[in-house]
Amino acid sequence: MNLNGIGYIVRETLRNLARNSWMSLASVSTVAISMFVLSFFLVLTTNLNHVTTVLQSQVEMKVFVNPKVGRLKEISLLNKARHWPNVRHIDFFTKQQAANSLKREFPNQRDLVALISKSNPLFDGYDVFTYRPQAIPRLATRFEKDPIVHAVVYEGQVVTRLAKLSKVLRWVGWVVEGLLGLATLFIIVNTIRLAVFARRREVQVMKLVGATDWFIRWPFVLEGVILGLLGAVVADLVVDAGYRWLTGVAAIALPFWPLASLASVMTQVLLFTLIGGVFVGILASLVALRRFLRV
Amino acid sequence: MIRLDKVSKRYPNGHYGLVDVSLTIRRGEFIFLVGPSGAGKSSLVRLLYREEAASQGEVYVDQFKLSTLRRGQVARLRRQLGVVFQDVKLLPQRTVYQNVAFAMEVVGASTRDIHKRVPQVLELVGLGRNRENFPHQLSGGEQQRVGIARALVNNPIYVIADEPTGNLDPETAHEIMKLFVEINRRGATVIMATHAKEIVNQMQRRVVAIEQGRVVRDEVRGVYGYES
Repeated sequence: MNLNGIGYIVRETLRNLARNSWMSLASVSTVAISMFVLSFFLVLTTNLNHVTTVLQSQVEMKVFVNPKVGRLKEISLLNKARHWPNVRHIDFFTKQQAANSLKREFPNQRDLVALISKSNPLFDGYDVFTYRPQAIPRLATRFEKDPIVHAVVYEGQVVTRLAKLSKVLRWVGWVVEGLLGLATLFIIVNTIRLAVFARRREVQVMKLVGATDWFIRWPFVLEGVILGLLGAVVADLVVDAGYRWLTGVAAIALPFWPLASLASVMTQVLLFTLIGGVFVGILASLVALRRFLRV
Repeated sequence: MIRLDKVSKRYPNGHYGLVDVSLTIRRGEFIFLVGPSGAGKSSLVRLLYREEAASQGEVYVDQFKLSTLRRGQVARLRRQLGVVFQDVKLLPQRTVYQNVAFAMEVVGASTRDIHKRVPQVLELVGLGRNRENFPHQLSGGEQQRVGIARALVNNPIYVIADEPTGNLDPETAHEIMKLFVEINRRGATVIMATHAKEIVNQMQRRVVAIEQGRVVRDEVRGVYGYES
């Protein structure tokens, strides 16, 4: 493709877009809506993943030791467990320390403070931190096998449920997006088919005087790409503004809720919508042209 | 060289356009295809530029074997040919100049070459002064000349014309025919399907007569041979 060819393609594309300006507008809007829905799911899954990672990084396991086990045995288990795989860090705490931290956490609960001060019902134990959250269940069983261990408590279930939810959401997202993508495809196909139809004589003559299929296709493919990209950009602008607003509101209303950062959300959204827009645009133009190129 | 080897063309409705046609056309020839309406002249012409494919037999155009031509090669075949269509096929929203330049654009010619070549060809067909007119502003003969200019602009080896004088008055038809003679004199092979009895008789060129899809006559210096 030489420079003359490129000039020709750009001229033709712009002419087509201008000629069908209303249909082009309709296509851009449809792409924008479908891309917006895609972005919605992306924002949702990105945030779920974010929450999951945050929770995972906080995940620890509490191992409680039977009462009346001697300090020596406790320390020996501590030293043993330090070398178990996936153990990042272990802290030993006595029931006294546990009581103190409880008191610090809930200074206003007088009954509680009185209760644990009088006869401490708490246990000695360990805070265990792991490298990978997936390792927790196995480590937990390993601790439970030790005769001095009373109980093991961890928040693994929350993490697994979140991961499952995010998986389900992603699937729902893909299905909805697939359907919307199909609808978008049809609309763009129609827009471009109108453009091709308006120029079917030209296309026919072009073929008869020796134009290659690709020479004829390029302007229409470019048209499709432009429609797809414009729609994606519109959606991206809306999502960007919307998410900025959301993070602003959430910072006041839900200060503890860990929202994913704007940057991390927008990289996902831009990536998927722009690629999606180009892909839908190209595919639609190729579909629209097929029939007319058989000359 | 163009060669048809036992070519038959059967249309989907069962009608035969051509039956077992064998024909050889050498470079530089001027050949008339004659015969009654519906005899198969247009079918033969359309096979040459691969608007249609033969049902049986083989068509060769220079190095191209048309039955096995892939889509991408069809364009290359057509660039060797200049086709003047029965219905001219001009683009109504484009000027005379643009209609002709279009044929160069689509084969990727440079703007400079287009600016140089198109006026030459328009001059050759006698439309030097109509370049900014639109097709509807032209007479039938002038439109036909635009079609011829477009066919010639890429310097084709073969010029194929399907009834180029079909709707023209005798005088204009004669002018158009003179144009084809000139084109042939400049080296292009001319293949023309026509009903123009007077002209065929007068020109004394090779005449191939087709009836009901078969070649019934092939004479080096032929006459039209039908009551028109």
